[in-house]
Amino acid sequence: MYVDMELWGMVAVIVLLTTFLVIRIRKAEKKEGQLRSITSRKRRLVAVIIVGSLSLLVVFLASIANGAGMYDTSISETFSYIFSAIAKGGTGLTMDERIVYHHLLPKALGAMAVGIGLATAGVLFQAVIRNPLVDPYITGVSSGAGFAAIWGMIFGSWFGFMSGSVFMIPIMAIIGGLAAFGATMLIAEKSGGTAVNYVLGGVIVGFALGAMQTLLLSFAPPDGLQRPLFWLFGSFSRVTWDNVAIIILPVLIMAAVSLTWARKLNLVLLGEDQARQMGMNVRKFNITVLIAASMLTAICVAFVGIIGFVGLVVPHICRMILGGDHRFVLPASFVIGGILMLFADFLARAFGPVLPVGAITALIGAPLFAYLLIKKGRMYDG
Amino acid sequence: MDEPPLLEVKGLNKIYDNGFHAVKDVSFSIKPGLLVGLIGPNGCGKSTMMKCINRLHTMSSGEVLIDGENVMESSHSAIARKVANVPAELKVSFGLSVFDTVMTGRYPYVTSLWWESSEDEKIVMDAMERFGIEHFANRQLHMLSSGERQRVLIAKAYVQEPRLMLVDEPTSHLDMKYKLEVMEYLQYMVKKDMTILVAEHDISLMARYCDLCIIMKHGELVTIGDPKKVITPKLIEEVYEVNASVGFDEDGELYVLPKRYRAKH
Repeated sequence: MYVDMELWGMVAVIVLLTTFLVIRIRKAEKKEGQLRSITSRKRRLVAVIIVGSLSLLVVFLASIANGAGMYDTSISETFSYIFSAIAKGGTGLTMDERIVYHHLLPKALGAMAVGIGLATAGVLFQAVIRNPLVDPYITGVSSGAGFAAIWGMIFGSWFGFMSGSVFMIPIMAIIGGLAAFGATMLIAEKSGGTAVNYVLGGVIVGFALGAMQTLLLSFAPPDGLQRPLFWLFGSFSRVTWDNVAIIILPVLIMAAVSLTWARKLNLVLLGEDQARQMGMNVRKFNITVLIAASMLTAICVAFVGIIGFVGLVVPHICRMILGGDHRFVLPASFVIGGILMLFADFLARAFGPVLPVGAITALIGAPLFAYLLIKKGRMYDG
Repeated sequence: MDEPPLLEVKGLNKIYDNGFHAVKDVSFSIKPGLLVGLIGPNGCGKSTMMKCINRLHTMSSGEVLIDGENVMESSHSAIARKVANVPAELKVSFGLSVFDTVMTGRYPYVTSLWWESSEDEKIVMDAMERFGIEHFANRQLHMLSSGERQRVLIAKAYVQEPRLMLVDEPTSHLDMKYKLEVMEYLQYMVKKDMTILVAEHDISLMARYCDLCIIMKHGELVTIGDPKKVITPKLIEEVYEVNASVGFDEDGELYVLPKRYRAKH
């Protein structure tokens, strides 16, 4: 592992830029008083977007630059490798270009997309269910995907479906995840269709599938356990150019769509009756959001396994820093979700053997979350 | 005297799925610009009726007309521009600030995708000033006292610019000072040609501020009229099964003193 001066330079630039922007915003707001709230909100959002996308870019490049733990380049070299490899169209590359372009770039893109996807799903679930403990796996998606994927690893696919294809496990996981969500939705709608019904339905489905997963694992041959367990903890090792687009495109589309829901998400925080009396079709909105967020989760889980904590903790971090308005929470979640996942992936690869990413995200996230909770946890009282 | 009624309820019935008949054949009409108290014991159908008026519940039969328009034939967003509702309390805030919360009241009017207009902002700022919450506009909701939070909820309903405001037990967890304060704010809004229907348990408070009161029991309308004339010991015994003195103080204000619970034997 090697951290060069360039990286520190970039971090310093971002810190200075942030300080500069914060001071300018404070000054402008003091001058205007509170009379121009929307103007100051716009200014803040621009600052969040500038600092956020710069940070995401730097972490992205740094994660590639620090490669597989044994292979180090500087950030500017990485940058030029990426460009030259793209210019050559991915063929006839030098050794360095090949490693960066074929090996590291798709994994970093995948990690970033999964971070964004899980964070977005977390924001959507927490707002619609109005419960701060909810994570993207609340509707049983992860248990369904896990069950199907482990089945595939131990017994092969159902009826020889896609047998032998690299997409077999991911596709089985997506089907399993969505089927589990379907079961949750069925139970929830039959029992009244409120947000709480969804949580309880998800808990039931999750328990049942979790138990079946355990049974499956006990049928596994002794030498066949490592792969399922590794999958359950999450890893980006299976992400390649062949499948990364299937993660990135849906995530970007869903993230963009979720932005159009920002004001409605604010409204549902006030409660179902309040949102309805303001003319919103809450039932339809909730179901749309739950389906969208579950699909997003299923796609993330299918390719990289079950990575916990990002979807739970990132929305909270954003809310604690920037307040509860979803016009800030959503864009900030994209950035922090992406950064946290890239950083966790980098740490997972940095110490020789590749560690499970899911464990690393929890290790980074827990202390950060604990700190913010102690500082600002009162917003969830009552 | 030919002013058309703002709210007209005709033969309203609400029967829940489990067969409970919560509102039984209620009819009344209210002119614009009145503060109307809705009084009755717990479970008498006050909240259910209010929810039928702004169509949060589907009524089983009957009609509700607002400004002559049938709510069942109006879209939800059209109703939202005419009727606002103030909940008894808001529990989870998820970090929304006072400004954010009041701004949600503009939802029925905002057409742009992302930010509200500067006109919306002006309306919200005026309302926050009016209800004395502008100095904590950026504070998060969970940091306020219940009295302050109630003012935020009223301000939110106010910026919705409704013709009719439905207020459900606004003062139930407030002390004397805040109770009076909330009622003064409601009275101020009535002067602005808004009609307010407020459900409340404190009969003396209702008598002091309301122009009209509607008394309900077991889902039925008992009577409707000037509180100072309608509220008598006999009525209270009939509605609440409680012995009470009803008197007037030296300023002519009515007060109710509950004395003894009389169970039916």
